[in-house]
Parts: sequence; structure tokens; C-alpha cells
Amino acid sequence: MIAPAWRRFERSYLFYSFRRDQVAIISFTILFIFVLASFSAPLLAPYDPYDPMQIDIMDSEIPPVWMEAGDQRFMLGTDAQGRDLFSTILYGSRISITIGIFAVLLQAFLGISIGLVSGYVGGRLDNFLMRLADIQLSFSTLMVAIIFLAVFQALFGTELYEKLAILMLILVIGIAEWPQYARTVRANVLAEKKKEYVDAVRVIGLGSLRIMFKHILPNTLSPILVISTVQIANAIVSEAALSFLGLGMPVTKPSLGSLINSGFEFIFSGSWWITIIPGIVLVLLVLVMNLLGDFLRDVMNPKLYKD
Amino acid sequence: MSLLEVRNLEVTFASRGGKLIALRDISFSLEPGERLGIVGESGAGKSVAAFAILNLVSRPGYISGGEILFEGQDLTQLSPQEMRSIRGNRISMIFQDPMMTLNPVLSVGVQMTEVLHAHREINSEEARSRALQTLTRVHISSPEKRFDQYPHELSGGMRQRVVIATALLTESSLIIADEPTTALDVTIQAEIMDLLLELCELNNVGLILITHDLGVISQVTQRAVVMYAGRVVEAGPIRDIVRDAQHPYTQGLIDALPQQTSPGKRLNQIQGVMPSLSNIPKGCPFNPRCPLVMDECRTRVPAYTRIGSMRIACHAAGNTQRRSRPHLELSKA
Repeated sequence: MIAPAWRRFERSYLFYSFRRDQVAIISFTILFIFVLASFSAPLLAPYDPYDPMQIDIMDSEIPPVWMEAGDQRFMLGTDAQGRDLFSTILYGSRISITIGIFAVLLQAFLGISIGLVSGYVGGRLDNFLMRLADIQLSFSTLMVAIIFLAVFQALFGTELYEKLAILMLILVIGIAEWPQYARTVRANVLAEKKKEYVDAVRVIGLGSLRIMFKHILPNTLSPILVISTVQIANAIVSEAALSFLGLGMPVTKPSLGSLINSGFEFIFSGSWWITIIPGIVLVLLVLVMNLLGDFLRDVMNPKLYKD
Repeated sequence: MSLLEVRNLEVTFASRGGKLIALRDISFSLEPGERLGIVGESGAGKSVAAFAILNLVSRPGYISGGEILFEGQDLTQLSPQEMRSIRGNRISMIFQDPMMTLNPVLSVGVQMTEVLHAHREINSEEARSRALQTLTRVHISSPEKRFDQYPHELSGGMRQRVVIATALLTESSLIIADEPTTALDVTIQAEIMDLLLELCELNNVGLILITHDLGVISQVTQRAVVMYAGRVVEAGPIRDIVRDAQHPYTQGLIDALPQQTSPGKRLNQIQGVMPSLSNIPKGCPFNPRCPLVMDECRTRVPAYTRIGSMRIACHAAGNTQRRSRPHLELSKA
């Protein structure tokens, strides 16, 4: 079952262009290593940043090994609480990537359903849903998220919030960005539903839901795939921004954003690595995702041939 | 009981500039296993009529009058659920371009068995074997292989065979074929048409063949309906229509056939173009293009005249002064 599928993929145009595009290969390799490393963090990381027993406050603010005051035990130095920065970054990227992926899944679920219905049914419903999307887009994601998260913290207290932080971030980022998907999907559905194969399945007597999800949706998959890569990167950035503002992941369970934030206080006292190193990781992660998104867009848009 | 009886069907499109009547007073009937041709130029309303029978006229159009009796049941009165159980199950439709009517991202097998899953309680194993059987009946070689292939891997003729096979899967008693061979290679058009006719005859399936080619209809159908600007202008047995067309438009269509012109001469054509729906001339809609136009034609819409078993909407019908023309050779394909 897997072997023929792989062979078909190997012969596909996507794989062919991938092999000829060095930027795509490098981006994919870096992303792959990142994802692999962060999800096997408990195996790779020398310390467990969540375990207070392994943290010694006496080890705080030790610079990376290559600097004079560096310590062999901590490759990338330690943060203000004495946690090993390398381990914390691994665990932190795991949280960032998880939030990014699940937030985008939620966005995609909402946006694709709404976009499909809107485009296929048309008329008043379409108008209503698209105006709703316009309203949603007129508030910036961060603004919605800040209001929502701040109100939640004020109402239920920070203790409950810290327990539910990952879930809350996924919900907020997921709900705030659905119009991106809805608009893209709707535009494609409008083009697809005029094609004769849609008439042909209506003539067969299939119901609207079946036609939308089984026949039209697969034909709009390539733009969905393209925006998904970019949206994951955006979601990671949003999460980092929220954490940086103190509304995201708590310091006890830091994501890349909260790590950057926690080091920010110490940047002028010389401990630059606590902020800069996770910052570089974040930028790199987002950059390779965007580059991969560009690559996918170029390959999947037949009107745009690059030489 | 007739298989299908369309009575005074009217389809209206609500546009910004007001209501446009796309089909007006369309009536025809079809016996079980019979073959009926609907002829006319582009824009005559042939395809709208086909979609109207399936109650699938898309917005802003709707059926604004008349009855469609299918096996005695008025399709215009059915609920959407009841109508869906008829589409693809009792009435199937074949479209012009098999490139466009098959979904490019789903395999042939998935698209074929979908009809069965929609209308029958059937497991995928059974559905598959039924589909394979039908693929063999439309003379597709190595059906097992084709079943898992995608539309782009098949040739045009093969795709139309798949479409025909899909239409036959549910044992419909009526198939509407909208220009089923127009998009195909000339070399296989006859082959596909023969296949379609053979299978319809074998299963006693009624066939409505929509085309602009009177030549094809004269060879394969028993009766014909000639449409112009959303109306039936002439209807009757195909032999009578071809030998003794009463309406000048039908005559024009016959004269335009290449067989009617000797080699080296220009083909005959009907002067002018079909009027658009928003701009249908007063009186008989054909009057600006008609060679026999009279004053009456410009003011009054002609009522139907019966001559033998034919029905003609023309003021000049039955008039003996019509120009004479050679008879069209009737040959069996």
C-alpha cells in the first residue's frame, strides 16, 4: 500500500521541482531537524526544564560554552533561573510548534467549512458569512487575543490560566484567523462549482454536503496547502508575540516567545543569550516555513512558471 | 403510459432587467424505449430543457409553469429528497465533454460507484464488481486497471465510455444525452453513438438526444422536436420532418446539412443569428431570418397547426407554395 504511493510521489511534479530547488531542500531539512529534535526533546535534552529538582539557582545566567565564563554542562548557557537554555529551547519549540499546528488545524476546520458553504450555497448566506469574515479581519489577531486572554486571566485567575494556556492559545489563534481560509476556499469554490463535473454529480443525485466535501474540496486543496504552511508560521509568531507580552505560555512552561520575554529583562545586564538564541531559533523556524510556502505556491500554481 | 410527458413547460430566469422566459410552452412525450431528438442552434434552450426535466435549472432560473410527468409522477411537485432519488437512479444524463464531466481528482472507480452508493444499500465490494461488469459492457479493455485510474489517464473516447457506463449502472429507464459525441474525435463519434444506441435498445431505455445536428437525429431517433428561441417550432416523426419539413427553420437546418450541397459549392446557411432572450422579436421569433416572412408573422405568435402527426408553429404551415427541395437520404447508421 505504501510502496506504490511513494513511487507515485517520487514521479510527481512536486517531488521533481523539490529536488531541483536548493532553497526548498535546505528549508525542508532545517524544518525537519527542528520538528524532529523538538518532538524528541525528552530524549535529546540533557536536562528537564520542567523538573525543579534539576534546576539550581546557583547556575543562573551562565553564558554559552564558547564564552570565557561558559560551563561545559550548559552548551548554550542558562537562563535567569538556572535552566539549561538548550533543553529549554527544545521543549519550548515543541510547545510553539504544537500550538502552531493545532491552531492552524482549527483555523482550517472553521475556514474550510465556512468557505465551502459560503461559496457553494451563495446568495444571502454567502453575503452574511463574508461580511462576518470582514468584521473579524478588521480586528487584528493580536488585539482579539490580548482582550480575550486578559479577560480570561482576570476572571479565572492565573493559576487556572497556566494550566489551560496551550488550549487557550490554540483556541484564540485558531478562531481569530479563520477568515484567511474561508476567503481562499470560497474564491476557489466559486470557480470550481461552475465546472461541468459539479453538474454531473448533481445529476447523479448526490446531496450538497457530499458534493461540497467529496468533489469540490479536493479540487481546492493546493491553495489550502500553500496557505497552511504560511499560517503555521504566522500562528507561531502570534503565539510568540502573545507570550512576549506575558499573555501566552507561563514562565514555568516556556514557549519560544516566553523565553525571549524572560531574557529581555537581563539583556542590558549582559545576559544577551537568553533572548537572542531563542530569537534566532524562532526567526529561522518561521523563515524556513515561509520559504517552503513560497516553494509550494510556485509549484502548485500552473500559471506561474519559473525558469 | 408514456415514460415521459412534458406539458407546457415554462422556465423563467429572473434577471436584473426583469424576467426572461427561457422556455415557453414546451410539450413532448416519450414512450418507454423510444428515442427522441431535440434539435436547434446554440441558445435555443435545448440544455435548459434537459436540466428542467431533472429539476436542476440553476438559479436565477426556475420552472415557472407546466408539468413533467415521468412514469406518471409530476417531477415539478416532488420534494428535493424525492427528486434526488430519481436523479441518477431513474433518469441519467450524459454531457457533452467527458474531459469536464469527470472530476479530475477522483479515480474512475470512485466516481462510478458513487451513483450506486447514493441510491442503493450496497457494499463497496459489490459496487466494484457491478462497475467492472458495466465497464466490460461498454467495451473498455482491462476494466480492473481502468477502475483505479484517474480521468486524465484515459482517452476522450474511453472517458465517454466511462460516463455512459455510469449512466447505465443504476438501470435508469431514461437517459438524456446532451451532445454526447460533439467533443470527441470524429473517428470515434460514430462508435460511441452506436454503443449508446445499442445499450439503450438492449435495456429498453428511453433516450433523449440533444444535438444541433439534424443529420445525426435523422439517423438514430424515431421522433424529433425542433426548438428555436425557447419554443418548439416543429415536432413529429423524424421521417416526416426530414421529408416534409413544414417550418422554414427546420427546412433551413436541413438545407444546411453538408449532404445537401454538391461538392465544391458553398454550404447553405440560415441568414442571421438566434435572437438573445432579452431581445426576442415580436410575433414569430423566427421572422427576421425567415425567407417566407409575411406581415402576419411580425405581429402574431403562430399557434400550433397539426398536419398529419406533425405539430408546427408557423403561419405558413400547410401552404403549398413552399419552395421545393431535394429529399434527404434516410439511411440507417
